[in-house]
Amino acid sequence: MSIMSANHLTKIFQNHTVVDDLSFTLETGKCVALLGPNGAGKTTTLRMLAGFIKPSQGNIQFDEEQFTKDIRHYVGYLPQYPVFHNWMTGEEFLIYVGQLAYLSKNDAKTKAQELLDLVRLGDDKQKRIGKYSGGMKQRLGIAQALMHDPQLIILDEPVSSLDPIGRREVLNLIRELKKDATILFSTHILNDAEEVSDDILLLNHGKLLKQGAIHEIHSQQETKTIYLAFQDEPKFIEERLKEINSVFNIKRENAGFAITVHDVNEARSQLLEVIQSEGWNLTKFEVLTSSLEDIFIKAVTE
Amino acid sequence: MQWQTIYKKEMLDHWRHFKWIWVPIVFILFAVMDPLTAYFMPIILESAGNVPEGATIDIPNPSVGEAMIMSFSQLNMLGVLIAVVISMGLISRELSTGVYELILSKPVRYSHYITAKFTAMMTLLSVSIIIALITGWYYVTVLFGDLAFTQLLTSAIFYIFYFMLILSIVMVFNSFLTSPGLVAFLSIFTVVVLNAITSIFDHVITWSPMLISDYIGTYFFSGEIETDLYFSTGIAIIISLLLLWLSIFLLKRQEMH
Amino acid sequence: MDDLIIQLILPLVILQLILIVVALVDLRRVDETRGPKWVWILIIIFGNLAGPIIYFIVGRKG
Repeated sequence: MSIMSANHLTKIFQNHTVVDDLSFTLETGKCVALLGPNGAGKTTTLRMLAGFIKPSQGNIQFDEEQFTKDIRHYVGYLPQYPVFHNWMTGEEFLIYVGQLAYLSKNDAKTKAQELLDLVRLGDDKQKRIGKYSGGMKQRLGIAQALMHDPQLIILDEPVSSLDPIGRREVLNLIRELKKDATILFSTHILNDAEEVSDDILLLNHGKLLKQGAIHEIHSQQETKTIYLAFQDEPKFIEERLKEINSVFNIKRENAGFAITVHDVNEARSQLLEVIQSEGWNLTKFEVLTSSLEDIFIKAVTE
Repeated sequence: MQWQTIYKKEMLDHWRHFKWIWVPIVFILFAVMDPLTAYFMPIILESAGNVPEGATIDIPNPSVGEAMIMSFSQLNMLGVLIAVVISMGLISRELSTGVYELILSKPVRYSHYITAKFTAMMTLLSVSIIIALITGWYYVTVLFGDLAFTQLLTSAIFYIFYFMLILSIVMVFNSFLTSPGLVAFLSIFTVVVLNAITSIFDHVITWSPMLISDYIGTYFFSGEIETDLYFSTGIAIIISLLLLWLSIFLLKRQEMH
Repeated sequence: MDDLIIQLILPLVILQLILIVVALVDLRRVDETRGPKWVWILIIIFGNLAGPIIYFIVGRKG
């Protein structure tokens, strides 16, 4: 079941197309990473989904039976650089935004306490936000996004500005939140996406380059690489390998060869057959799965 | 309920930043400054001691009505200035710092956001104006003679609507600009232009809200409320409501990049 | 005459002092000001009525 679908989403700011014809659906309960280099249009996309900027073209559809009111009732949003009223305390601010989302004062108080403990700000809840560190503000930002128990949580670069410990904490928190809500978060760091997300949306120059489950994207790759190394490099090996029909490209790498192939299974048997019949002294045979990083770099630079 | 939440938070903001202390005090000082100076002027000149021997100082003492008008005219200048600068960042600062993005990610209605902020600021201004004018009235009656308290109170209420108009002008600029300084400049510029237009065509546009304080002045002399005062105040209210509606419209269109 | 002066001027002096004290309390509490804090102390104390007002309007940062 899908919680939301974006259809041909486009945003143009002063003749500059920031988001270009984006279409995708978010499945309920999934954690999706919106991946892309800086300036790819991630923030603009998230702001449109969160409901406070309007698409120039296209639309966003939420499940109408499930979401009858203003979509902001169901969406929790963390901006990339959350800014608060610095004169308020962390607790006051959470209660304030909770009430803005139509929680009663008592419910807001209870929820605020629960979330302050969750993001480990319980001891600092009476401090003015102006005195908080960057990491504390980021955690308070996550807490405020969760105040009204949103079904969809949108986080814009939730970990980019954090130190390694803070990053780890937030990623664990996201893993925790996955159990109850659908999460969409943007990042330009691949490891984060790989670590906690089920699906990815790869964005560059406002265009959607790839989308799908992480494991599918791995297997979707058109070409794969097989790495071969030999004890003594046989003569005419390159010429001989090129004759194999499943081999696409050969590149010298370190002491061996990185061979790009179309079909791994076919190539494996053909390669081994040739190696056996030629009597080459094979020392290494490795099928390389391309990392998400390869896919990312390939997609972005193409 | 959401409206009250924003209103209470704004009131807390005014309190934490001591606006509830300093704005009334400053307004009081404005309101008593001129009547007091006018009263003591002959004494000040005498004690300055540079009066030629035998010359008498003959500055006619202002009447009660004139003295009370002095109170109003200080608020008309400096009071308006203060009102503009304390509200120049009401929304524009939230837009420029980015707090607005967090607030608007919750299901906040634009109309609630604008009118709650407006009403909280109006509460502060109204209370300050009333306290200031009552203090001014006390000083005037002690120094210059009797003036009915009800007359003062009636005038003060009319006068509050003039400030309502000023504040709604500031709200309009707030809703599409992100620089508080620019908001203040354009608001004051607008008030100056409206005043100039009114004084050039004062026989034609007798209903101009800029004339409210003038009509209050005539009320102090005649003791009768002219229909023009009702008219100009009514126009002030109508324009204020239209400007608030315009602010809501403009804020809805506001987009962050 | 002197009584009247005291009766009328004294409350204003007190209000002015409250204004100065509140401005100084705020200055002490606030994290950051535009320009150095000691300059603001001078402005608040010696700036007459305008001193505290200017501080409240432009002194604080953020």
